[in-house]
Amino acid sequence: MVKSDFEFPEFYNFPPFFTIQPVLATREKQLHLWRELILRYHTAYKIKTLIVHDCPLWKNTNLGRELDSTDISIIMNDLIESGHGEWEDLTTSTSTSTSAVHTRCRILWRTPQQLASDIYEWAQVHGFGGGGVCTVYELHSGEDVHGMSFQGADEELLRRGLEVLEHQGKCTMFQGDTSSEDGIKFY
Amino acid sequence: TMAHRRRGVGVGRSSGPKFSKKAEELKAMSAESAMETVKKLEVKITDFAKKHKSEIQEDPALRQKFLQMCAPLGIDPLLSKKGFWGSLLGMGDFYYELAVKVAEVCVASRSRNGGIISVAEVKNILSQRGTKFQLAGQSTKKYSRDDIATAISKLSTLGGGFRTVKVGASTMIVSVPTELDSDHMEIMKLAQEEEGCVTVNTVRQETQWSEERAKRALDLLLSQGMAWLDMDRGVESYWFPSVWKEGFGMDDA
Repeated sequence: MVKSDFEFPEFYNFPPFFTIQPVLATREKQLHLWRELILRYHTAYKIKTLIVHDCPLWKNTNLGRELDSTDISIIMNDLIESGHGEWEDLTTSTSTSTSAVHTRCRILWRTPQQLASDIYEWAQVHGFGGGGVCTVYELHSGEDVHGMSFQGADEELLRRGLEVLEHQGKCTMFQGDTSSEDGIKFY
Repeated sequence: TMAHRRRGVGVGRSSGPKFSKKAEELKAMSAESAMETVKKLEVKITDFAKKHKSEIQEDPALRQKFLQMCAPLGIDPLLSKKGFWGSLLGMGDFYYELAVKVAEVCVASRSRNGGIISVAEVKNILSQRGTKFQLAGQSTKKYSRDDIATAISKLSTLGGGFRTVKVGASTMIVSVPTELDSDHMEIMKLAQEEEGCVTVNTVRQETQWSEERAKRALDLLLSQGMAWLDMDRGVESYWFPSVWKEGFGMDDA
């Protein structure tokens, strides 16, 4: 994807968007919108990791509104729970306290489960079902994957998707000469 | 009706058989002439419709005027697809399809506006999608806000909780069973004057209501998702997505 001027959703200019809503049904909608915004933004700019205290989304200067740290925590927790975010740093402990301080969040545009089903569907359509084989490299950079969600995907992420598929019995992995030549046999 | 008005002019107040016979005669006459007047008007309207059929089909403004002429006579040219009016004007399908599309837009938008949306916004959404309708055998994109309101009024006769409400000069469509009283409408009207936002204080200033009354109405709107809360530097305000969106560049009627 080419970096271009990011189009913010309408809600980004709606002041209450920056107040975590007290009414649960409304809050659900709001968190959904924040999740979508975070995913779209990070994907558009190809940013793999969200650094909580650096993220420019929390503050809309033109609007004069910003999320406070409690609000941000709520949004981050929701992102993690949805499967679209993963903490990269775990607990830290200092001499005085041990606390879970999460600052770096890996952004997963597609969860491993979603990647797994996308890959499997692609495999069926392209005739790999029933024993067809392709390499890991072909999955992220092959000619046939144009427009697929896993095109250009991080290899590690791709493998996690493939693990899910293996677990489901829909494929097996085997080693190639290099890691990108590792193969996948689909069923 | 005419018969009613006649009664007020003293007919029936005096006693005596002579008077009451006269009263009955007058009543019968006025009822008869009322019926005749209505029949004459019906004929006129039918003639008008026949003569201006294509204009009614193509021009939303004329169509609206025509419907307004029909209403006081109890004529509903949209009542059925078949029958006299259905065959003459062929508009039944159009309003039905429009109503279905409008209902879809309303339901899809509920999670963000609580089930209240302006007709203007609905029209905008349908226009952006390039939605077309069949009107008298032709595909058309030309329909007005009035058409949308008319389509919704058809829906409400079928049940389903859809109804239109007036907020200031705007017409909103409510698609949830929530009971909105005049206090709620008043608040939304105030919000309309302030780009979609009110506070307890601004409501009280304009209405002279007690704090309790203002809060009660605002809390209902908040709980229904029709209002969202904005807490900014200690000040709480209530924003209405349906009103706020209306302030966006909407196309005209």
